[in-house]
This record gives sequence, structure tokens and C-alpha cells, in this order.
Amino acid sequence: MGPLIVNEIISDNTNLFLAFLIGIGFGFVLESNGFSSSRRLAGMFYGYDTTVLKVFFTAAITGAIGLLFMSLFNWIDLSYIYINPTYLWSTLGGGVVMGAGFIMGGYCPGTSFCAASIGKLDGLAFIGGMIIGVLIFAEGFPLWQGFYEAKFMGAPLLSEMLGASRGFLTLLIILVALGMFWAGEWAEKKFARKDYIKND
Amino acid sequence: MKARIMLATALVPLGLILAAVPENTTKPYKLTAEQLLEEVKSGTQFIGPDEVAGMLIAKDPSLQLIDVRSAAEFEKYSLPNAINIPLVDILSPEWESYLNQDIRLNVFYSNGTNDANQAWMITRQLGYNNNYVLQGGLNYWAETILNPEAPPSSAPNEEILKYNLRKGAGMALGGDASVNTAPVASPAGPVPPVQKREAKKRVQGGC
Repeated sequence: MGPLIVNEIISDNTNLFLAFLIGIGFGFVLESNGFSSSRRLAGMFYGYDTTVLKVFFTAAITGAIGLLFMSLFNWIDLSYIYINPTYLWSTLGGGVVMGAGFIMGGYCPGTSFCAASIGKLDGLAFIGGMIIGVLIFAEGFPLWQGFYEAKFMGAPLLSEMLGASRGFLTLLIILVALGMFWAGEWAEKKFARKDYIKND
Repeated sequence: MKARIMLATALVPLGLILAAVPENTTKPYKLTAEQLLEEVKSGTQFIGPDEVAGMLIAKDPSLQLIDVRSAAEFEKYSLPNAINIPLVDILSPEWESYLNQDIRLNVFYSNGTNDANQAWMITRQLGYNNNYVLQGGLNYWAETILNPEAPPSSAPNEEILKYNLRKGAGMALGGDASVNTAPVASPAGPVPPVQKREAKKRVQGGC
């Protein structure tokens, strides 16, 4: 039966409305996990707080397991799920730019809105910077169009590239994630800071 | 118990199940009984013999006639350029590329319309597009195209025009003789797309 919108079970407008509700839920979960604190976010890079890793990896695994089980029960046709196309160089370049901004500023795009919504001025400054960045990217697009479109790979799946089934790959990722959670908690003890109290 | 161990005890078994079961590749596409009834009632699956005859004479390469009768009956008589997919073999994988495609206009025919309709219903339920049924089957084809009955001279002009067209078509397609003569040469050239359904949009998403 799914995806609901592709199979015309719900309309585009209902889809937008559901996205709005899910967005509010997403923001709420981010905030209640302390993602509006730039120190907690930056802690990921210094090792003293790995909540970011745990929350996002748990979300990804939960989503993957959910989708695969729904496909197993014939609730969703996975071939209609949109997969972001991969432009290898711009993905890597964008990752570096975003990562550098993340370390320096302490927010990623979503969490900056989270912080701004509870009244943090640095979050607001971040949103301003993001708009400037969008403007520069859009206006200067001819300059980096070549780089942006280089090395187009379609929408590759890791499971297809490795020749493994989706289920097996998911199991591997679950195991890798649990290993990383363990390593993260080890790092939190090792790089603990006196001036930072981690509250789970 | 630590949160990590609780998480592991929940996620690892689920992952093991996913790794162990085969991937689901079936298409969940299915019409409900009401939808199918609606289509049957409105008769959208039918294509009239005049239209098919017109396409045959024009050597329209998008037309693919499919004879769903038995091979023996197909040998005895068939429409020009038809291929034979007996109804009992319709699910055989060798024919899937013919039935499940977006390029050509498939027209099923049998002696009446029963077998052709059954073939259409099966392919429709599989989610295949571009499959149709020759209205009235070969019997009606013989009546209207091969041996059209002349309307009375008092009939309206449209009737007479239709009769003339049918007579011409019948002559071009081997009318009056009950056995098909030489098959028309295979049409060449690019195959035009027919009745393409609007491709389903993928859901756009992102972070």
C-alpha cells in the first residue's frame, strides 16, 4: 500500500501536513535530547559527549529496520522510495564544509533552528549564516557547477555495491553501530571535561 | 541494565531476522474488487475491430495482436502479425516482457471475448498496462471486417461510409477468404510510445 503519496492514498497537501507534524515531532525530540546546546553537539568532535552519534545512529537503524519489515509485510514498495542521487565530489566537498562549520559553530542546520526556537542568539546567527551561504551558492552556481555535477553515480545502494542483501547489510550496520556506541561511551570517560556535566 | 545492552537485545534479533529472510520482491499492486468491477463495467479494456483494422492497414508498429487461443487454432487462422500466447501459458516468464511493457498496444483476441477477457483480467491484476481486448473477438471481426453486411440504401451516410471502410479493410486484410494469406511484412522503424501512463513520482525527501 505504501508509499502513501505515490499510490495516491493521500494527497500532496495531506502529505505536507503530515510532514509538518513529523517536523514538529523531530524538533521536539532534538530539543529534548539537548541538541540545542552547541557544547553538546561540538562534544561529538572532541569525544566528551557522543549523544549526537547515538541519537542519529539509533534513528537510522530504527528507520532501516522499520522499512525492511514493512516491505516484508507488503506494506510498502521500496522501489518507490526516493534515494538521494550521489554526486561524489560535491558530497565530499559539502561534507567537509558542513563538518568544519559544525565544529567551529557548534550547530548543524536543523539544530540551529532548534536552538533559535528556544531563544538562543547563536542559533539565530547560525541561521543568518546559512541564508548567506545559500545565497552565495545560488548566485555563484555557474562557478562551481562543474564541481557540483562531477562524478555522478546515480542512486547507488551500499548493499548492491557489496552484493549483500539489504537485511544482511542492516545486521552489519546494527553491529557496527553498537560497537560505535560502546566506543563512544569509552571516549566520554577518556575525554571527560571538568567544566562539562553530561546529563543523559 | 544499561541502555546500550537493552538496545542491543532489541535490535540484534531484529537484524538477524532481516538478514535471514529473503527480500520481498513481490509487487503489492492489486486492484480491489470494486475497482476491477468499475473497469469491467465501463468496458475500457475493449478496442473495436474498426480501430484495430485501421491500425493493421496503416501498419502501425505500436499494435501487437496477441492470440490467446490454443496453438492449433492459431495455426489454422490468425490475424496478421499476431503472436500466440495461449491462455494457459499467460503466466509463463517467457512472455512477461511482451505483456508487461509501456511501448506497444497489446490487443488480446480469442474466438469470442471470454478467453481474451480472462487474459486481460490476469494481466490487469498483475499491474501491467497497455493490454486491451478485441471487442467481440474473431467472430465479430469476421462479421464486421471480413464479411460486412451492406446497410440498406436508406441507411444514414455514416452507416454507408462505415460499410465502405470495412469493406476496404476486409479486402486489404484478406476478407472473403476464411484463411489468412501471406502475413504482412514486419513493420520497421521506431516504435512510438502508446498510452503511457504518467510515471509514478518518487517521494522527494531529505534532511
